[in-house]
Amino acid sequence: VLLLLSGTLPMSSGAVAVGRVRFDRDGMRVGELEIPRRMLSIGATAMMAAALKTTEALGTEPPVSVVAGDLGQGDGSRAVYRYLTEDAGGLGPSTLTLHYILPLRNEFLAFVEMLDYWAKRPFMIADAGALLIAKATRVCERFDLFTPDAGEMAFLADPDAGHPAYVKAALFEVDTTEVPGLIAQAYAGKNSPRYLLVKGPTDYVVDGGTIVGTVSQPNIPALEPIGGTGDTITGIVSALIAGGLDPVKASLAASRANRLAGELCAPTPATRVFEIVEQIGRALEVVLDGR
Amino acid sequence: MVEAEEGRGDGGGGRTVFLFEHFREGMRAEDLLVRSGFHTHSGAPPPHVRTGCDLAVSVPTEEMADAEKMLGEGGIAVWDVILRFGGDLPELQLSYLTKVVDYGEYVMVRVGNMKLTYRKETGVVVNVSGGGCPDIPLLAVEMVGSRLDEATSPAQLGFTLCAYTLQKAYEVALKRWRGGGTS
Repeated sequence: VLLLLSGTLPMSSGAVAVGRVRFDRDGMRVGELEIPRRMLSIGATAMMAAALKTTEALGTEPPVSVVAGDLGQGDGSRAVYRYLTEDAGGLGPSTLTLHYILPLRNEFLAFVEMLDYWAKRPFMIADAGALLIAKATRVCERFDLFTPDAGEMAFLADPDAGHPAYVKAALFEVDTTEVPGLIAQAYAGKNSPRYLLVKGPTDYVVDGGTIVGTVSQPNIPALEPIGGTGDTITGIVSALIAGGLDPVKASLAASRANRLAGELCAPTPATRVFEIVEQIGRALEVVLDGR
Repeated sequence: MVEAEEGRGDGGGGRTVFLFEHFREGMRAEDLLVRSGFHTHSGAPPPHVRTGCDLAVSVPTEEMADAEKMLGEGGIAVWDVILRFGGDLPELQLSYLTKVVDYGEYVMVRVGNMKLTYRKETGVVVNVSGGGCPDIPLLAVEMVGSRLDEATSPAQLGFTLCAYTLQKAYEVALKRWRGGGTS
């Protein structure tokens, strides 16, 4: 397996499903699990669809996902953590992305500890709930790449915050204008992995605390309200890294492709993220043409 | 039971902290204890037990037994207790973490890490964005396409701090839309 994606789905079943991701106009499948079209939303489904579109553009093998339904009470999250801890090592993924999931301290730390025993350590990416629990348990440096937005960057920069809702107001106020300062604070506090792809009006690509690239074009303010545009960028960068691009090049390409896919939709604040997903293949053709 | 820390204040016994498995239970506990006259503080649990998406409630240690009995009678399960806690619980900052962005036909309300966007003319929710907890994608499915005053509110379906944050954005949006966009 090149790319293993994990997260929860807005469904009531707490049982874990593992398998190749498939996606068409009727909905999504993970192995034998069917996810109806109407349940495709922000979160893991948008991330998985974007990753699949990227592997199709690259001609690489489609991602495998580990998912479970969870409506917020943690049953599906526990099942995903358990699978990751007990079974995922046997799949031998080169890249592993953790996404929407309930932050559960003991279950998450058990998984992180188990990574030391895997035959091959994957490139570790976290976003959404997985990013929150990595920060709350102070194991950010065990990961390789986070894909925070500016608000999550403020959260990483605040050494005392366990959740973005506890971030100091002063950091919230600066989060869209002084992202480089937040990046520096996060690294100083050891609350960041080596690589960051910070999503916002300007996207920042960071390696070891140093900003090594920015992307601000095309500039499309209407993308900010569209739920899931951060999830698609996480899916794209995951598949690019699994496909062999180095993390900095992959982050820059993901940022450009996500913006271009958005532009191709001529978006308004009412555009839905799966309209953007449909444009990812075309956008990647343009972005990867000169690599 | 979590290891006790050195007590401080509140009659010399320090404070006793109640921890809950889900954020929603923390909210219910705070509400019940405040209404029952206990001297509560609430906020993020101490770092060594914090998951991030949680809310702890403390009472003076001398009120602990009565508070625990009250929570039990209220059907609220306490996950763990820290006795004689000497620190502070960092408070939620949501009242300071609100921004409103006008996109012409649409308004985006952002509270903390959550964003809710609605159409000014109709009040219909057109997008929900942000968060990281499992109840958020379902709330997005349920809320998008519904008018604000008819939509399922995050408080009805949510369990997590992300959902609670989205509820605050929803309340700001609803109040603003009902007020004609000025409040």
